[in-house]
Amino acid sequence: MGGYGDVKLLRDDGKRLDGRAIDEMRAVTIEAGVLPAADGSAMVTHGLNVAVAAVYGPMEAHPRKIQRQDRAVIDVRYNMAPFSTGDRIRPGFNRRSREISKVTAEALESVVLVERYPRSKIRVEIEILAAEAGTRCAGITAASVALADAGIPMRDMIVGVASGKIEDTVVLDLDKAEDNYGQADLPVGILPNTGEIAFLQMDGDLSIDEYNLAMEYNFKAAKEIHEVMADALKRRYERGDA
Amino acid sequence: MMVELVPSLLRQEINRLSAQDQRLDGRGQFEGRDVQLEVDCLYNAEGSAKVVWGDTIVFAGVKFEIRTPWPDRPTQGSLMCGAELRPVAHRKYEPGPPSPESIELGRVVDRGIRESGCIDMEKLCIVPGEKVWGVMIDIHVLSDGGNIFDAAGLAAIAALRTSIVPAERFDVGEDHTLKVNGTPIMASFKRAGGRFVYDPSEEEELGGDERIHITLGDEGHLHSLQKGLKGVFTPSEFAEILEVAETKCTELRKMVAEKERN
Repeated sequence: MGGYGDVKLLRDDGKRLDGRAIDEMRAVTIEAGVLPAADGSAMVTHGLNVAVAAVYGPMEAHPRKIQRQDRAVIDVRYNMAPFSTGDRIRPGFNRRSREISKVTAEALESVVLVERYPRSKIRVEIEILAAEAGTRCAGITAASVALADAGIPMRDMIVGVASGKIEDTVVLDLDKAEDNYGQADLPVGILPNTGEIAFLQMDGDLSIDEYNLAMEYNFKAAKEIHEVMADALKRRYERGDA
Repeated sequence: MMVELVPSLLRQEINRLSAQDQRLDGRGQFEGRDVQLEVDCLYNAEGSAKVVWGDTIVFAGVKFEIRTPWPDRPTQGSLMCGAELRPVAHRKYEPGPPSPESIELGRVVDRGIRESGCIDMEKLCIVPGEKVWGVMIDIHVLSDGGNIFDAAGLAAIAALRTSIVPAERFDVGEDHTLKVNGTPIMASFKRAGGRFVYDPSEEEELGGDERIHITLGDEGHLHSLQKGLKGVFTPSEFAEILEVAETKCTELRKMVAEKERN
């Protein structure tokens, strides 16, 4: 969080720079089954973000040292395309993408019934094609829909959402400017049916009350996004191909 | 890349159909699959394109940066085209450093665009000897359903031709469209069942032999050729597919022009 403070992010009428109310999220669209080569896939647009997830497997886990005798391992790669940001990024992993891949994998392992597939591997590939703040959340949402599209049994899907703080005000779903110049960001992965949390990160400065309000916004948004996810899967099976 | 077993049954079936002038998916020898092109589809790229070519999906994005020119070419900018075959695209692709296959793909597309002369490197100069534009085209294959070369070539030139030079962001003038003088287009052929077919499917790539990629410019001139994989061909075979390539490239060039108008 930059927390530069001198950048104005709230208008005089209390709305945000892009005209949203403080508890309003950006538009979300989801399509399941978008990649013919994958066993399951999904594309999520969240505001200007575009995230695509592909699932391959369950397949034999190799090398053998990564195998687990009692469950499947989930191998997640979160990657930003070179043209996804303002300045081009050099292809390949960096510390940020490795960390996001790790915690995303751990979140997904908590919902996928991994014990059904001992010694196997489920590959989840998350590709960010356009990044405007909130890509890890869009990636988690896309991965969940792709896993469901691949027919992999899960206790629940995970919805990626974030709230944060700008100009000492808690707001839902930070955009790029708010992320750059805001005071806090709280991205979470919520299980919409059980109300549990499988993914949690935060940076910046939040009081306990602000945290509670941010979480309240997150749960509200998760419910809305979950409906879009379920609708995408229904449309996928009405379509019926593959 | 993971080694894929070539089922001999697949090879046999391709051979059997080929003898009857047929293909696995019912297409004619030189019949391509359905192609959809979308441009300007990604927010942060200065030019972008999405190509859905049968079961193959490829994105291309263009980014600009300001760099110092090479000492021996102080008034010339630069162009680079790279491709990534990431594990998202197929179960056969594995993570790791760029594979020979992805490097070949990027370089063949790069040569077609570069050698067609559609980008005037002198026009990419901002301050001679000090500042020039570096144009980078990144090809991102999301689904490999066969013939990623043609899809990548089409996405790259469509993205390039619809690019906006972000001069304002770098404080060197006003944003303007990138001048591109030409639309080089690639056509790829694969020997499957003993003969060349246009636009190979995933199965034909698995059960076939060598492939040939031809990039033609607006005037029908050759700008890049590449033969890949094991196998040999005769000059008369090449003459036949070159004729097909001319027709295919002209059709696809029209498609790019139509997208630009909209």
